[in-house]
Amino acid sequence: MSRMISKVWLTIAGLATCLAAGGAARAQEPPAPNPAKNNPHLGNKESIRSGMAMYRVRCADCHGLDAKGYRGPDLTALLAGDYPDERLFNTIRKGVPGTDMPGSQSADDELLLIISYLRDVSAVPATEAVTGNVQNGARLFAAQCASCHRVAGRGGRLGPDLTRIGNARSRAALVREIRTPSEWMAPNYETVTLVLKDGQRIRGTKKNEDAFSIQIMDTRERIQGYLKPDLKEVIYEKESLMPVFGPSRLTDGDLNDLVGYLSSLRGSDVSVR
Amino acid sequence: MRALLLAIVFGSVALAAQTGTPPVTPQDLTDGLKDPGKWLLNGGDYNGHRHSPLTQITPSNVGQLTAQWTFQTGTLGNFQTTPIVIDGVIYATGFGGNAWAIDARSGRTIWRYRRTLPEDMHLCCGTPNRGFAALGDRLFLATADAHLLALDMKTGGIIWDAELADYKVGYSATVAPLAVKDKIIVGIAGAEFGIRGFIDAYDAQTGKRAWRFYTVAGPEDPVGGKSWPPNSDAYARGGGSIWVTGTYDPQQNLVFYGTGNPGPDYYSNAREGDNLYTTSVVALDADTGQRKWHYQFTPHDVHDWDSTQVPVLGELPINGQTRKVVMFANRNGFFYTIDRVTGKVIVAKPFVETTWAKEIGPDGRPVLLPGHLPDEEGTKTCPDLGGGTNFMSPSYDPTSRLFFVTARETCAVYFAFDQKFKPGEQWESGGTSRPRDQKNFGALRAIDPVTATVKWEFRYPTVSSSGVLTTASGLVFAGDGTGNIMAFESRTGRSLWHYQLGASMSSTAGTTYMLDGRQYLLVPAGSMMTAFALPRNVSQP
Repeated sequence: MSRMISKVWLTIAGLATCLAAGGAARAQEPPAPNPAKNNPHLGNKESIRSGMAMYRVRCADCHGLDAKGYRGPDLTALLAGDYPDERLFNTIRKGVPGTDMPGSQSADDELLLIISYLRDVSAVPATEAVTGNVQNGARLFAAQCASCHRVAGRGGRLGPDLTRIGNARSRAALVREIRTPSEWMAPNYETVTLVLKDGQRIRGTKKNEDAFSIQIMDTRERIQGYLKPDLKEVIYEKESLMPVFGPSRLTDGDLNDLVGYLSSLRGSDVSVR
Repeated sequence: MRALLLAIVFGSVALAAQTGTPPVTPQDLTDGLKDPGKWLLNGGDYNGHRHSPLTQITPSNVGQLTAQWTFQTGTLGNFQTTPIVIDGVIYATGFGGNAWAIDARSGRTIWRYRRTLPEDMHLCCGTPNRGFAALGDRLFLATADAHLLALDMKTGGIIWDAELADYKVGYSATVAPLAVKDKIIVGIAGAEFGIRGFIDAYDAQTGKRAWRFYTVAGPEDPVGGKSWPPNSDAYARGGGSIWVTGTYDPQQNLVFYGTGNPGPDYYSNAREGDNLYTTSVVALDADTGQRKWHYQFTPHDVHDWDSTQVPVLGELPINGQTRKVVMFANRNGFFYTIDRVTGKVIVAKPFVETTWAKEIGPDGRPVLLPGHLPDEEGTKTCPDLGGGTNFMSPSYDPTSRLFFVTARETCAVYFAFDQKFKPGEQWESGGTSRPRDQKNFGALRAIDPVTATVKWEFRYPTVSSSGVLTTASGLVFAGDGTGNIMAFESRTGRSLWHYQLGASMSSTAGTTYMLDGRQYLLVPAGSMMTAFALPRNVSQP
């Protein structure tokens, strides 16, 4: 039966309980030591194996089976740099606001097992270094991407807001999504074409849908809902609205600069408090 | 026994005479939905049909259904309840130990009960609750901290409080109890924390336990005991939760319950054997709790496929003979029609895509396909852990002989690993992730239980956890995963009406009743409950 109920409510209920309990008395207590400061599982083969299994169940969907990143960042590269385990523990525990990374309610020990696995697979520094001319990347972005993507409140809205994309995507994922954007379309950005009864075609990204209606943002950034009985057809397209930026359109050098710029985008999102 | 039963009934009638409120008698429960002003049992009747005889709302006028009022809980968490309705008053349970008596005419609260739940509970899935049982002038509520309460129907005050098990080590309860004669039957949950599941019966008058049936057989059980590792205490944490209310056959005096997954959920080596009586339907004597028969859907389950769906009772023409049957749309993706007297499978076929078993063999066991044992590398299997269906109630129309179920078309990559058991800690030994190439969707499906074949479907873009209600006027009411309550023509699946509730129905189903000459459709969804009826000027049959 487990996992069928959204655990969001648990989080909210837990938060409400904490608030109701009041923090005054607790505020005077010394902060508890970070459990990752003394992780008994580091280097223990059995622990690493358990940690790998837990990682695959809970983390691999976004960070890849090998932890080298998919939709989420490359964790091996992250840990190869200066990223202490205490910070990693806190990130897993609390999540990353403004990204798809949720907080975890698992026991401390389970988080420590996962960290022991990540440390094991990250022992060899990542060969991929972050390079690129960020200034040139910014120019390329303004010329080729900003009509659809927004950064820090400027740019288009048809594609995802990239203000914090450097926190949310691995370098490999950025390259993949620029070179082959149709390989994976983010939820709420899948391409649809609506054919009206008079034959008019409206193309856009799907924002929501049920059996009776569909909500889209069209290519002119108009958000609008349509009742399916009023439509002749709904075409679910396999191609992303984002054009393919192959080597003839974006050289490997420019791609490197663009990815360098995107990786640097870790700014605050005004919608996240 | 009979004297006690009469005493309860007589006492209730005497009280009713003083106050003017009819009590709920055992005969009322046996009568099911005969009284149009009442919805007394979780499944509408003891058969679990959720099929109302009401006919004021029809396929031709359902398009004019209009919201009459909306009740807001004002609390965190969603309804998973099936409300009890008795002559103009709705009795509903909610998230977080809340319950209400609500005026069915206006949606206004009459009384509210709130249990103070301890903070150190161990719960896989929050504190939802699936409803009250009613008997006499009492309501019965199973709580998240594993107690069974008897409440005064008029005030919500506690009459007695019985502890089912120790919540501190992972026991909990969400199921709506079942009232049978003078007893209240209830099941325990918590398999994700290494509990040993059971079904209990309590004296409705005193709260004293009458019997207990363990859903995980111990070594002393000559049938089920051998299905757990020998010389091991694996059975003591073997799971077998009861999440959903059972059904009752008065003629055989048997209650039927589906049982949950074995523990730990995914790791096979921890519990070699079939792991009886998990992932089964059990037929128990209602007076003693003695097992008459069992049928195990998924021997040695490793995919968290609880069999806690509703065992729907019916009579079907099979090869020229009328057979008493149990109909069961299982989380493992197969639909079963089982002989209710012998427990033998009559027919079983998949009703969603299933990749783990080729078929159900002549001996009733699934014929397994290779490559579906979860491991550390992950194995892809359909359906996912949410199953072909789940805790959402199906409906059965005995006139058209169609079984209606919310189906889920899903797959998952299943992982398993060894995990040390510690009392009170979550103990699943694995989990799942979603295959990238997978498009999940849901559907309302009508199944012919004689042949176990799908007759029609209405597809939803996403999966749904809504239960189903049918009426004798030829309507099916169901919810999708995006907040719509919908009406369909039961014969064809033609969509007739829908209303966006703003929250999807999770485990809840519509109920329907008559009040002041009007037929109401009552729909709990999210933290709201909305009552629909036809406008007063609509022509009615």
